[in-house]
Amino acid sequence: MQKFLSYERGLGRFKPLANVICYDDFDNGFNGWLDLTPNYVEENYESFDSVVDLSSWAPNQLSSASMRFASSHGSMDGTYSLKVSTAPTGGPHTEPPRDGSMGHAIKRLSRYGNPKLIQIEAWYSYTPVQDREGKGEEDIRAIGFFFDVQDSEYRYMPGVRYVNSLGGKLVKKWQYYQVAEGVTPEDWNFGVKDGWCVPGVDNQWYGRRFEDGSADGYQWVPGGEQDLVYNESPDKINWMYFRLTVDIEKREYVELQSGDHVMDMRGIKPTLTEGYASIDNLINPIFFIETDSERSVNLYLDSVVYSTE
Amino acid sequence: MQTTNTSVLTRRVRISDEYATLPYEAGWAIEGVFFIQAEGEHPDLTITAEVSPDGINWRMRAQATLAAAESLVDLPIDRFGNWLRLRVTGATPEATARVLVHLNLKG
Repeated sequence: MQKFLSYERGLGRFKPLANVICYDDFDNGFNGWLDLTPNYVEENYESFDSVVDLSSWAPNQLSSASMRFASSHGSMDGTYSLKVSTAPTGGPHTEPPRDGSMGHAIKRLSRYGNPKLIQIEAWYSYTPVQDREGKGEEDIRAIGFFFDVQDSEYRYMPGVRYVNSLGGKLVKKWQYYQVAEGVTPEDWNFGVKDGWCVPGVDNQWYGRRFEDGSADGYQWVPGGEQDLVYNESPDKINWMYFRLTVDIEKREYVELQSGDHVMDMRGIKPTLTEGYASIDNLINPIFFIETDSERSVNLYLDSVVYSTE
Repeated sequence: MQTTNTSVLTRRVRISDEYATLPYEAGWAIEGVFFIQAEGEHPDLTITAEVSPDGINWRMRAQATLAAAESLVDLPIDRFGNWLRLRVTGATPEATARVLVHLNLKG
């Protein structure tokens, strides 16, 4: 069959690889992006033992970005974005994430077309809830994205995290997912022996975190300092561009692009772990946000493109 | 064809005091139904659907009771604007509850 493709106008603001697998504009619904939850497979539908309460993340919403004083922002192209939220439960950044202090949106996909490269792109924004006086930028700890990938040999999670603020002090630097040398499974699971997650799996929750923002599961991106747009008030948002490209043949990062800032990450590898049972060929893209204080914060995704080549 | 979505607003949370779900934007939907389940023993719980202009200031819209002898109750709502949340009262340190809240939306 010979195919003739006519792309939608909205794709013009993306730079997809040869094969667009998903173009998700949240004006058309949730598009399969859902809350991240653990496996309820133990007795009485309970989950496994974890220091981090993986049942506690806030529900994702289709948002018109309705603000307290500024009215609805709508989205970049239409009315709705996907809103990823937290509860007002941020704790110290050196401790494991508290119940509800993060929000996540996941789409559950699988490998298709035997690609060498996979890429996620998004137009997004973030802001805290305007439930108190002040500007509020310091209340957003981080936003992030990672792929959960398993091939015929390894499971691994290439991802990045923009550290916006720690303990109320602005940091504004990108990190990538890679486990530091010498981290043990017990370190990773905050002391739980035989924890379900091995070092390199679920860096967004596990691994010790330190005062300066370094962590067992995160390394600083070379040249990763960047001042993202945070408008002058919690009720004003600006849409920004994000792209992460990963080589799944070499199992290494390729590029991180944020706005017009391109960070070359070739040669840097995520941490490889032994494959888990029955999830060969899994590819799950996941976005998340973290609060740095006792205040809810929101990540708005106008649209997302997942492409391969 | 209409769009429908079910969100889990509260996932098996143990409560011992007044409790409210996080603010939830649902402006795309015409109607919704809250479903409140309690696992195990629990006291009579008063369930209140609340609406808001901004997700910060709240006003009561509809109410139901989840009696101690029951494990599931529903609470329909429409013309709610954009913001919704659910308030649950009746739990105390002496009589706790473990609650699971679904919100189905359609529009």
